[in-house]
Amino acid sequence: MVAFSSFVGPFVPELLLLGGMLLVLLLDVLGVRRNETLATVALTALALAFLSILGDLGFAPLGVLATVGPGALNVAPAAGAAPLYHLTSFGLIFQAIFLVAALLVVLASSSRPSGERGAPIFYGLLLLATVGMLLVAVASDLIFLLLAVEVVGVPSYLLVAYRRGEARSMEAAMKFFIVGALSTVLSFYGASLLFGAYGSTNLFVIHAAAASVGTPVLVLVGYGFLLAGLAFKVTLVPFHAWAVDVYDGAPTDVTAFLAGGTKKIGLFAFFLVFLGPVLLVHPATAGASPFGGGPLDLGPTLSIALGVIAVLTMTVGNLLALLQKEMKRMLAYSSISQAGYMLIGVTIGTAPALTGATLQILAHVLMKGGAFLVVAGVAGLGIGPLIDDWKGLGVRRPLLGAAFALMLLSLAGVPLTIGFVSKFVLFSSAVQAQGWFIWLAVAGLLNSALSVFYYARVLKVMYFDRTDPIAAIEAPPASGLGAGGLGYGRAAAIGLAAVLIVGIGLYPQPILGAIQSAAQHFLLTGV
Amino acid sequence: MFPILSAVLATLLVGTVLTFLSGKSARWVALATSFVFLAEVAYLLLQFPGWAGFAGGVPQFADGESYAWIHLGWLQVNYTLGIDGISLVLLVLTAILQLATVVYSWGETKKPAAWFGLLLLTCLGCVGVFVALDVLLFFLFWEAVLVPMFFIIGYWGGPRRRYAAIKFFVYTHVASIVMLVGLLALVFYSHATSFDYASVYAAAPSLSVVTQAFLFLSLFFGFGVKFPIVPFHTWLPDAHVEAPTGGSVLLAGLLLKLGGYGLIRWAVFVLPNGFHEVQPVLFVVAFASIAWGSVVSLAQRDLKRMVAFSSINHMGIVLLAIAVGSSLGLLAAVLLMFAHGIVSALLFMSSGSVHHTFGTRDIASVGGITPRTPVLATMIMIGSLASLGLPWLISFPAEFTALLATWDRLAYWVLLPLGILVVTAAFYIWMMQRMLFGPEKGIPESAHDLPAYETVGMGILAAAAIVFGVLPFLLVNLITASPIRVFPGV
Repeated sequence: MVAFSSFVGPFVPELLLLGGMLLVLLLDVLGVRRNETLATVALTALALAFLSILGDLGFAPLGVLATVGPGALNVAPAAGAAPLYHLTSFGLIFQAIFLVAALLVVLASSSRPSGERGAPIFYGLLLLATVGMLLVAVASDLIFLLLAVEVVGVPSYLLVAYRRGEARSMEAAMKFFIVGALSTVLSFYGASLLFGAYGSTNLFVIHAAAASVGTPVLVLVGYGFLLAGLAFKVTLVPFHAWAVDVYDGAPTDVTAFLAGGTKKIGLFAFFLVFLGPVLLVHPATAGASPFGGGPLDLGPTLSIALGVIAVLTMTVGNLLALLQKEMKRMLAYSSISQAGYMLIGVTIGTAPALTGATLQILAHVLMKGGAFLVVAGVAGLGIGPLIDDWKGLGVRRPLLGAAFALMLLSLAGVPLTIGFVSKFVLFSSAVQAQGWFIWLAVAGLLNSALSVFYYARVLKVMYFDRTDPIAAIEAPPASGLGAGGLGYGRAAAIGLAAVLIVGIGLYPQPILGAIQSAAQHFLLTGV
Repeated sequence: MFPILSAVLATLLVGTVLTFLSGKSARWVALATSFVFLAEVAYLLLQFPGWAGFAGGVPQFADGESYAWIHLGWLQVNYTLGIDGISLVLLVLTAILQLATVVYSWGETKKPAAWFGLLLLTCLGCVGVFVALDVLLFFLFWEAVLVPMFFIIGYWGGPRRRYAAIKFFVYTHVASIVMLVGLLALVFYSHATSFDYASVYAAAPSLSVVTQAFLFLSLFFGFGVKFPIVPFHTWLPDAHVEAPTGGSVLLAGLLLKLGGYGLIRWAVFVLPNGFHEVQPVLFVVAFASIAWGSVVSLAQRDLKRMVAFSSINHMGIVLLAIAVGSSLGLLAAVLLMFAHGIVSALLFMSSGSVHHTFGTRDIASVGGITPRTPVLATMIMIGSLASLGLPWLISFPAEFTALLATWDRLAYWVLLPLGILVVTAAFYIWMMQRMLFGPEKGIPESAHDLPAYETVGMGILAAAAIVFGVLPFLLVNLITASPIRVFPGV
């Protein structure tokens, strides 16, 4: 029994999701294709997986659901061991964040029309991609990691195209697939160079070797390719150009999943690949004080490269977002700029910075995922894709308008929202690390100010602009769904995201404390 | 001890929420909230024990409260509140202005629930700024003021309201960001043990003088844009001219005071050495603001625009008094902020009443209004005379003290602000001569004197201007119950 649980235990959440996926496909074969039924199956699987992860993290009320047993987390492997996967509380926190993203999307999708085609494919693929996301968070081997990234990638390409016959979606899927394939090739090539240098793809072996052998040019080139490959996934400038077309062309619920969910696996991969091994090249720094002390040495070259990319990503994303006329494209560019903030955490590499970046990732799941879910709902009300089409929406639909305004304010970093807390912790950590990192805080804050322009413009349109009398007559909701045409599931998902945005914004202590202690363990064990 | 300051904040918060929810009867809820708030401030005044001096080198505060908020070891943020004489004076100002504004805008018909709710929310933010003693909490309230004011200007404002609202938001937000970097650097570079005012205050002297000077400048930029200082003042005329009257009143009466308060509390007191280094910069900026505000007011035809520019002039004198850096100067600065809060509010209400009585605010096209609208004319007269510094009205003791402090420090340079005071007097007297007296012109048949609620709203302010002008020691005793009494002596 012990052997069985130690073998299966770490993968209970993944197995639950796989079971859910198989059940969805089975129901499809049996002819049960009602959207609500399939969504319920997917929701149940995701919720059970989420609870089990919370149990593993030591959330006391869910102790019964814990599957890995006490003391199984954050144990450094024996010297010379090369495990494929490694359980850390940091990884589990990311699993929980990924599941929140999937849960919100599925909850919202449950209110799509019952008879819509492609529902089984949608939920099946979404669960499969989520399995891949969970696997990324426990990887400790480059091949395992990159394969897990592919388990996310392939279903995502298909998700973008699941509404067959829509030309824009097909084009977006094609673009997404080609870029994704290129990114995979680059990453694997980088991994092969590291294998050539050290004779292993295991991250523990790589950093042990790097500590004793040093980092020859071959390794730096390998890291360069890995950086490029993963940068595509995270939509970092200059590897960002595909993202807007894909986010724009995909069905909006899928966009919410891509921007809120799958993109974040690239960031966790950044933590694994760049923070873990490179950290231990300098064991003196790493052991001395991973917490509260000076920044951990990432290797000056990589650190500066990451810093430059972070600032470029924020700035380019924000500047282009300013020019957009369509809501979805504006949010897509804003999503690019947000990735820049998150990269600050990797660049600085201290426990405080990781804490800030992780909360920023959770914040982005809630506010950007939530915002795209609102956009999908609003499109269902028969409102056009342009920002100007949202005229007066805040007055006509006060609750929906308030939730969307809240998400935008959180994206802009306005206080009392989670978006403020995460940026506050992140930029504080940059100032606290001193040295040139303070300029990351300055760049980040100036970018936040810049971003206020385009978020405030949407608020202006929603609240201040007069609607012309003809457009003001609300078209009857085509779907005939509850909650004023949004559907109860979507309304619940949007409401949940809004409540979390404010709740965590007001009292972030429990979540921040958990993230920080996990980040400290992560920096100590290296993977 | 009963957490009275939290109770004050809670009163305003609950009042705001109830006002938003109460539809047509919103004004009654807002009025009730204002009275409760006024009573609480009165209670604070009555039980204020005076200033307890320094303990362990850190100034003490009354009615202190502190609860843990975010504790991450390296990042110790608390919910810490407390008041001293400076905060208390500004709380009194807030209570008076809130009551006056609510009464004055009794007749608001455009979305009254939202209007009164946003008024209360603005006051809540200002009260928070005055009582917060934690870097983050202070910054939160500081930023929280922006949002309601953005909506007040953007929804109830004049024809160019959207432009004005966005300009206001962006200017002050960018300034806040520079200030935030300064505050964070202050905490982390000085290795303060927490974000509390006391820890920051105790740790700041360990910084090198150059670092202190840079930090002071970054804070000064953040606070200065709110002042506003030349050359970052251009948001103010736009915001004032487009803002509805109630918005202008709070903007001039309270929001500008946040800059002065922040500068004194968080920059001058905490970084006295840095302050000492950059004093020349402050003097130049102060003189520029005084001169620019005054000369440009003289050229205005629009009554409201004139009052707005005269605000720049008056806040320039506040900055000058702060820059002097003496006990007397800081006293004058706080006194002047209180005086300007009352007087500019009265003048903005007057120009609002002029606008809807005569359909224009153009000074040249209305004349001889006294016989037809005696109450309005009286209010304009009290406001103008107070603003130009007539003795027995509130600005006189404040400006006199400011000039005295300037003389102490800069000797004959005092002639510069003194000369400009003559210009200020000139544009007010000229305005009164043209509008209040002389032959009647531009008065529509329908024009009648102020409705009762506007009279009461302005009457509250006029009474305050007279009472505190005759009895300024009421304020002086309170203001000196703070580190001002010994500055820069410790």
